Amino acid sequence: MSATTTLPPAEAPTIDTEGYRTRHRAWLAANLPARWRSDNPDYQSPMLEEAKAWEAELHRQGLWGVAWPRDYGGHGLTLREHMIANQEIGRLPMPESVNSIGKELAGPIILAIATEEQKRRLIPAILEMREIWCQGFSEPEAGSDLAGLRTRAVKDGAAWRVTGQKIWTSGAHRAQRCLLLARTGTMESRHRGLSLFAVKLDQPGVTIKPIRQMDGNAEFNEVFFDNALVEPEDALGEQERGWAAAVRVLEVERGTNRIYRAWRLEEELRHLLTVCRTDPALARIIENPHMVQRIAGVQVDIEVHKRMIEGVVEDLCAGTGIGGRGSLIKQHWSDYHQRQAQLAVEILDGASYPPSPAVARAQQRFRTVYLRSRAETIYAGTTQIQLGIIADRILKLPREG
Amino acid sequence: MSDDPIREIAATAARAAAIAAGLDAAGAARRLGEDGLLGVLAPDSVGGLGLPLSAAAAVVAATEAALVPLPVAEAMLAARLLADRHPEVAAAIVAGEGVVTVATAGAFICEEGRCSGTVGRASAGGAARWLIARTAGAGPVLLDLRAEGVTIEEERGLDLERPPARITARNAVATPLGDIAGFEADLLLLHAAGALGAAEHCLDRAIGHVGNRRQFGKPLVAFQGLRFELARQKLALEGARAALDHALAVAGQDPRAEGVARLVARSACGDAAPAIIEAAIQLHGGMGFTWDLGLHRQLRRAREAAAALDAVAARAALAERLEQAWAA
Repeated sequence: MSATTTLPPAEAPTIDTEGYRTRHRAWLAANLPARWRSDNPDYQSPMLEEAKAWEAELHRQGLWGVAWPRDYGGHGLTLREHMIANQEIGRLPMPESVNSIGKELAGPIILAIATEEQKRRLIPAILEMREIWCQGFSEPEAGSDLAGLRTRAVKDGAAWRVTGQKIWTSGAHRAQRCLLLARTGTMESRHRGLSLFAVKLDQPGVTIKPIRQMDGNAEFNEVFFDNALVEPEDALGEQERGWAAAVRVLEVERGTNRIYRAWRLEEELRHLLTVCRTDPALARIIENPHMVQRIAGVQVDIEVHKRMIEGVVEDLCAGTGIGGRGSLIKQHWSDYHQRQAQLAVEILDGASYPPSPAVARAQQRFRTVYLRSRAETIYAGTTQIQLGIIADRILKLPREG
Repeated sequence: MSDDPIREIAATAARAAAIAAGLDAAGAARRLGEDGLLGVLAPDSVGGLGLPLSAAAAVVAATEAALVPLPVAEAMLAARLLADRHPEVAAAIVAGEGVVTVATAGAFICEEGRCSGTVGRASAGGAARWLIARTAGAGPVLLDLRAEGVTIEEERGLDLERPPARITARNAVATPLGDIAGFEADLLLLHAAGALGAAEHCLDRAIGHVGNRRQFGKPLVAFQGLRFELARQKLALEGARAALDHALAVAGQDPRAEGVARLVARSACGDAAPAIIEAAIQLHGGMGFTWDLGLHRQLRRAREAAAALDAVAARAALAERLEQAWAA
């Protein structure tokens, strides 16, 4: 969440940081249902309606929308408090948000480029979990290369009609809105002829087909638009300029989305080692000097991750931009989390047989984490895209000599 | 402290280091002393500036990049260490009137203020006036290398500008220093800062090279394989820097050698710095392996620093303190 686009640092309220942290920690400890903790042998993932109610409650408790303006249902604090709240979320093995696209992508873009009416209508619906969002950017012929984007939006009176296909659309099957990037200019205008829309998904012109992933789940989808309607009030930002503005927001978001991640990955390591100490065979494995080096190496990577995040938050609060640094952070965590997940699976394979319920739960959790971690160097821009951004934007390497 | 005084010190250090790199150890000490750079940490009472460790890190990043032939980190920290009890020595170090070194291997045997035995791997020991060395069971000592009964001989090592020396004492007078754990812990952080400064310099040289050299009809920098390699090295550099900056920032609150932030910085910088320089050499192709290109000089020093940082030991110690890391 980009506090800088909404809250000038000078207006930042001063609050008692430790009291703020303690309050959130205590509330989460008392209210997170035990069966949703992914380290619980009796773990059950929440049903969609339960997850929505839980997240709406998190917002009421001040854990979501921390740095968003009060006018739109936010809590009007700064990115520093947003980070503290996220650290507390990260420390617990809590369910992931089912509306992270709304909260960490659509919301910040709406706050940056939408009209006052749109902000008042769309932002509270995200925080209150009345509307779940998905992101309609990628297409079969346009991944990170948006110049090839083909989905078209054409004027129909004051409204728009959309035709085309999106792919890799996470959460579309549960979403009410799609943040759609569509071509309103010519193909020749490449990435400049693109505009943003807040499309309603519950309509006849929209078909959603799940895609089964290598972990067995079907979180992402193909979304087909066939003359789908976009009401006039759902066009976001200036036509054909919306995208440029969104890119500026996304640059910040790449550094700040899921800010809890470093603390959650630390929680994963803590869960792993805590379980290992309960099993004699695993306890021996984690004392092996080679394993000690790998385990501590992961903790070093986690510490570096935390410091990178804190640095970005401080710079944003001070009003400094972060340039392409989001790519450094994304590449750092996606690399080490794959090593971490692989290590967890390797270690847990050495458990005594039959495994205790606690060990069996950890095995199940980290098999899933391992498989899902393979997606982390692909989504939100592959490793190769991130390295390209680091070369172009951070090192500023010339294309030609 | 705001960034500005540190940036100012970094700029002064870069200018002074460029000149000092062409001098011998004594000349380099005088040159850096004239600019006040050796007194960055020492208190005002001995002519120092009394700044935090991050200021010293900026100095040593510049002097390691430029290959200044002086143990600069040792000088800055020794001036701070000796300021109270040996103000005349501290003031001389601050002014650049003499070189101080630290023996990183071996221990003297001392009795009633007199020491005997052999210590070694003292950086630029042949040019040094003072030595800080360990003793067997009696705590570290300060030895005036001009004292009677002291002999110095050069040893083989990697560092070309600051050849290490072996120092033998025969019943030589030495001064006990008491507990210097904080000195030793901070010295490791400054070694990390120096190695990272050298690594950044070498990465910049590699970027310059691939931008200028043309092959297959285009500059090397246009090849994606090389762009990705440079991006990977930048990622390693910035990760290590994040760890180091944090350790420097909390160094005052945590003077123990075994605090989490220090262990993390040792592991991250000890691994990253030499690897980045090795990559910079690779990116220079055949030129990279030549004596004259000179990146081997930064590599030699960074390898010495990495040996001191001992990333493997740092991680083993961190593994014992995970609960401490998780509580932070």
